[in-house]
Amino acid sequence: MNRKILSLFLIGVMAFAVVASGCISGGGSTTTSSSAPSTSSSASSTTTKTGGKVVWASTQLVPPAERAFILNTVLPGFKKQTGIDVQFVPISYFDLSTRLAAEEKSGKVTIDLIGDLHGAMDYYQSQGWLMDLSNMPQLKGRTFISTFEKYAMIRGTKAYIPWMSATYVMVINKEAFKYLPSGLTEQDVMQGTSKWTYDALLAWAKNIYEKTGKKELGFPVKGLFHRFLHGYLYPSYTGYEVKKFDSPEAIQMWKYLKNLWQYVNPSSTTWDEMADPLLRGDVLIAWDHTARIKDAITKEPDKFVVVPVPRGPKGRGFILVVAGLAIPKGAPNKDAAWKLIDYLTTPKVQAETLAQTGFFPVVKEASEQLPSGPLKVLAKGVAAQESTSDALVVMIPNLGKYGGQFGELYKEAFRRIVLQGQDPATVTKDIGAQLDKLFQEAGVPLP
Amino acid sequence: MQGGYANRGLSRYVPYLLLAPALIYLMIFIGYPMIEGIKLVFYQNGGFSLETVHRAINNYYFWPAVKDTLGLAAIILPTQLLLALILALTVNKVFKGRNVALTLLLIPMTLSDIAAGLIWYSMLSPSGFMNKLLLNLGLIHAPIQLFGYQFHTREFMVIVFVELWRSTVTIFVIVLAGLQMISQEYLEAAEVFGAGYWTKLRRIIIPLLKPSIQTALLLRTIYAFSIFGIVWVLVGRDVPVLAGEAYYQVTQIKDYGVGAFYALLIAVMSLAIGVIYLRITRAEYLEVKR
Repeated sequence: MNRKILSLFLIGVMAFAVVASGCISGGGSTTTSSSAPSTSSSASSTTTKTGGKVVWASTQLVPPAERAFILNTVLPGFKKQTGIDVQFVPISYFDLSTRLAAEEKSGKVTIDLIGDLHGAMDYYQSQGWLMDLSNMPQLKGRTFISTFEKYAMIRGTKAYIPWMSATYVMVINKEAFKYLPSGLTEQDVMQGTSKWTYDALLAWAKNIYEKTGKKELGFPVKGLFHRFLHGYLYPSYTGYEVKKFDSPEAIQMWKYLKNLWQYVNPSSTTWDEMADPLLRGDVLIAWDHTARIKDAITKEPDKFVVVPVPRGPKGRGFILVVAGLAIPKGAPNKDAAWKLIDYLTTPKVQAETLAQTGFFPVVKEASEQLPSGPLKVLAKGVAAQESTSDALVVMIPNLGKYGGQFGELYKEAFRRIVLQGQDPATVTKDIGAQLDKLFQEAGVPLP
Repeated sequence: MQGGYANRGLSRYVPYLLLAPALIYLMIFIGYPMIEGIKLVFYQNGGFSLETVHRAINNYYFWPAVKDTLGLAAIILPTQLLLALILALTVNKVFKGRNVALTLLLIPMTLSDIAAGLIWYSMLSPSGFMNKLLLNLGLIHAPIQLFGYQFHTREFMVIVFVELWRSTVTIFVIVLAGLQMISQEYLEAAEVFGAGYWTKLRRIIIPLLKPSIQTALLLRTIYAFSIFGIVWVLVGRDVPVLAGEAYYQVTQIKDYGVGAFYALLIAVMSLAIGVIYLRITRAEYLEVKR
């Protein structure tokens, strides 16, 4: 009896030990991983002192596949060409800004190169953390697309060098060209001429519906549709993303969208990306982020074309997501960092970056390096959109933690006005006030 | 003699010691997150606050999410129970091809809800298999539109259908196990006294199945309250559900307080329904009852 109880007791203790050790070692491993960056950064700072190692902190190309491309292809190529080692540090925006703030304040800067989005660079520049790159040696053999160059100049200083871009475009199944409305040609659509307007899009979708009985225009309402509202329709109709949210022009825009919605595939509210609906044949015309339609183009490059978005009364509004490369003030290895910038923006590496990550080149010569096929279809469409003469480029406002609410407010306006048929004037007034409040809280001027 | 006392002293703690690992596990993985969740909802600026609760309840999607989640559970659960009972009673008999039927019935259980949702979306979409089949057979002239905000009822019914297809088998398996445990002696005795099929079903089988039904319903109701994957894949927020809103608030809006509120609400509902089930479906033992 005694022995039996003792063995039961032992079993209990052992089970407890297993669970407890699991918990303790689990906790232990978290500590190790969280302390890892600090160890590596201290290691890197020692190397920086001794040799020419570049510490590159980036919020971009962080996902494993993209990181593998940097570590296995880009950096070995750079090392081969220059002999310089690079330590790639994937990092979040929050961590990077905290680390930069601390390093700049203490004067002990360890980061040589920053890779981040335009909005973040704007913030870093406003804090005085970035070097003015105007006096650095010229980058030969490439022409930066002028829109990007313009944005890289922040408050009179060259804050960063454009690195990669992404945008949202329209994809057309070539079948749809059979139903073009009168007065609109395939060329108009492909090149984004002044005839390729939102009214023309409506006439086209209506024509398809009347000829085939199908609603073949589609939007990712479950996905990034709010970007279409604040970055495409609003600027095209009012000239601004937010400033004229409840203006007469905006009401005209909402009336247009309501009208258009009669010919939009009703399943749109259940789609979060347009590649599948395009491939399934649910739609012939779609709008989405380049990365989210890439699948359709890669699978059937002969079936689809990528074209510029239509224009509205105020111009052709579209969003550009731009990532740049900047050097922090006091960087220990700024010349080597500049060499890395040089390498990353060569047409060859830019073309490779598109092929591997889906981010678009920022230099004109890169598209020549692309093999014909799906990527060329994509790059051609994106380049056509970027070089339209009536381009009204907007950036996604850098609202930090309020970013989600911002998009949600546009989606709410859409739901109430278009899907539920509420009065546009009342809804835009109500939501406009909420948007104002949100921008005030975030301390960001209305774009 | 002294050893005996020591034994008795020790044996008093044995049950607690044996329970300790499970308790510690529950405290770490259920208790701690739950406390953190409660803090996220009710604790703000160093004190108790109902601001998050107000924000959650005043959100447009809150009441539709409560209504749709309860509505789905109210339709799906009784239908599943009925279907599972019929299936279990059928499969419990010995017939040719019984094993094949059993295997076929079990297939949906091996699929994740996301996979099931994706399969059925491609089957039922306007250009999907079902529409193409009906069009080719000449039964319809234009594709049947089942998805879209304008088609709320249709979307709701699609979710009900896919859930029935996918998870009825969970109840079926438990009920079948219960059926197989019922001793033939009871049934034979009933036959001797002249009981027909319905009498046996009503008086013997169903009462003896109550513990199994209770377990199955308890599990399924908890799953029904946290239904998410299938709804998200099929219709997104067109049919809002509680768990879907929790996910949306955390991942898209980054409002962790409201997300935690939804999660807590699901937990409280599941707990309440658990208590109710345990009260109303007590096991009955034939010998004890009379």
